[in-house]
Amino acid sequence: MQSHAILFKYKNNHLSLSPVCQRTVVKAGLCLITLALFLCYFPYLSPALADMLPVPISEEMIEIPEGPFLMGEKAESGDHNIVVLERYTIDRFEVSNAEFKIVFPAYVYPAGKERHPVSFIRWREAQGYCEALGKRLPSAAEWEKAARGTDGRVYPWGEKRNRNKPHPPFSGMVKRVVGFNKKDVSPFGVRDMAASVWEWTADEAKGKKIARGGVWNQHLDYEYSRTTDQIEVDADRRYIFLGFRCVR
Amino acid sequence: MGRRSFIRRIIIALAALGVSWFRPTKALAGFNFWRGSEYVGKTREGKYKHFYIQYYKSFKRIEGESWRLKVSGACENPQNFSLEVLKKLPRQTQVSRIKCVECWSAKAEWEGFRLAALDAIVRPLPDAVGVLFRCADTYIEYLPLDDLHHTRSLLVHSMNAAPLSDEHGFPLRMIIPYKYGYKSPKAILEMEYLSQAERGTWNRIGPYSVDGTILPGYDHPLDREKKRRKISGGEIFD
Repeated sequence: MQSHAILFKYKNNHLSLSPVCQRTVVKAGLCLITLALFLCYFPYLSPALADMLPVPISEEMIEIPEGPFLMGEKAESGDHNIVVLERYTIDRFEVSNAEFKIVFPAYVYPAGKERHPVSFIRWREAQGYCEALGKRLPSAAEWEKAARGTDGRVYPWGEKRNRNKPHPPFSGMVKRVVGFNKKDVSPFGVRDMAASVWEWTADEAKGKKIARGGVWNQHLDYEYSRTTDQIEVDADRRYIFLGFRCVR
Repeated sequence: MGRRSFIRRIIIALAALGVSWFRPTKALAGFNFWRGSEYVGKTREGKYKHFYIQYYKSFKRIEGESWRLKVSGACENPQNFSLEVLKKLPRQTQVSRIKCVECWSAKAEWEGFRLAALDAIVRPLPDAVGVLFRCADTYIEYLPLDDLHHTRSLLVHSMNAAPLSDEHGFPLRMIIPYKYGYKSPKAILEMEYLSQAERGTWNRIGPYSVDGTILPGYDHPLDREKKRRKISGGEIFD
């Protein structure tokens, strides 16, 4: 009887919830709504939450075993160039703003963008960062093997183009935290090789430095780059769309 | 409220609307430099199929003799400049391509002066970080001083060895070849030095980035029959 009195009460011949119980139901409802909202918006909140945490220089490097891999576009005859590389390790993520600032304290970036990939830096600054940590910029071949594995696939995840666009419909570079795109993962587990910013490499072509693997822009539409795509950039220039990662 | 009173109020409201419609552009520079009744605006017809013309809104053509460039804001010596005076500033010439965010591009030889020449006269304050451009088509664009002082940034009054046409931005326009065309304001009426960054028209109303750097992607040059080509981002030099 006592427990019923806490849960229910009689009034005008009607059985209703006691005031204590009503308050509990309302509180539980509010908690459920809050939880549902949090779960719905978690993908959008998580990068913002991650931005608030201190960022040490990531030690996450992935080992790429020695051996051959299929490099470049497949010829119409079906031939595919085979390149053999020694074992090396490569950063799992692009170098972030906060990491870059640890090595170059004068570097300034917008508040709250700690984990965004660093960009607007010249080739020699990227190289300088790597050297300060006992690393170096990847060669174009090392970059490509880390992006596509050994089987000559077109995209890091396989042969088919990802239907989801890699970038919001916006005319300029919109950066997100490194590793934001959960589908842009290579066979070795290296992230952001088909979208996000382009990345400096150690190699040259046409008197310029080769950069690999970022988002392609067409009008207000965007595409992932293929693992074979490259751009050539003057080493003395710096762009909002161009960052880097290191190898050792 | 009586019927007459109601009608009177409607008339007053419409008159106020009319005044507000005409006021901004004329008050902007303090000069009446509009001429004729013909308007200049967006076109891709005739000879312009080789160099598309983009304007935010149509506007009456500008009379060069009475036009003045108003330079204001965070500078020690704000003043107005006639086109004749601006043409006396040290001249620079460059061939560069305008790349529109709508994919097409077109190339020309541009002649004008660097912002540094204007800086020497108006003397921007130490806290100035950029310039807000107000244009005849009511378009507004902001550019940081770092970009305006870039070796390829030019304030232009001549194109292909002739004065700028109304369609290409007479009497004065900006050329920043490593950014999309919307960052190169045309038919400039006023340049205001600012001590805080501002947003331009397209950044406010459309999906256009504040930065506007040309990204790696595709180009459809009008002088090459729009044949698609890949570009590496930044200025397109050929």
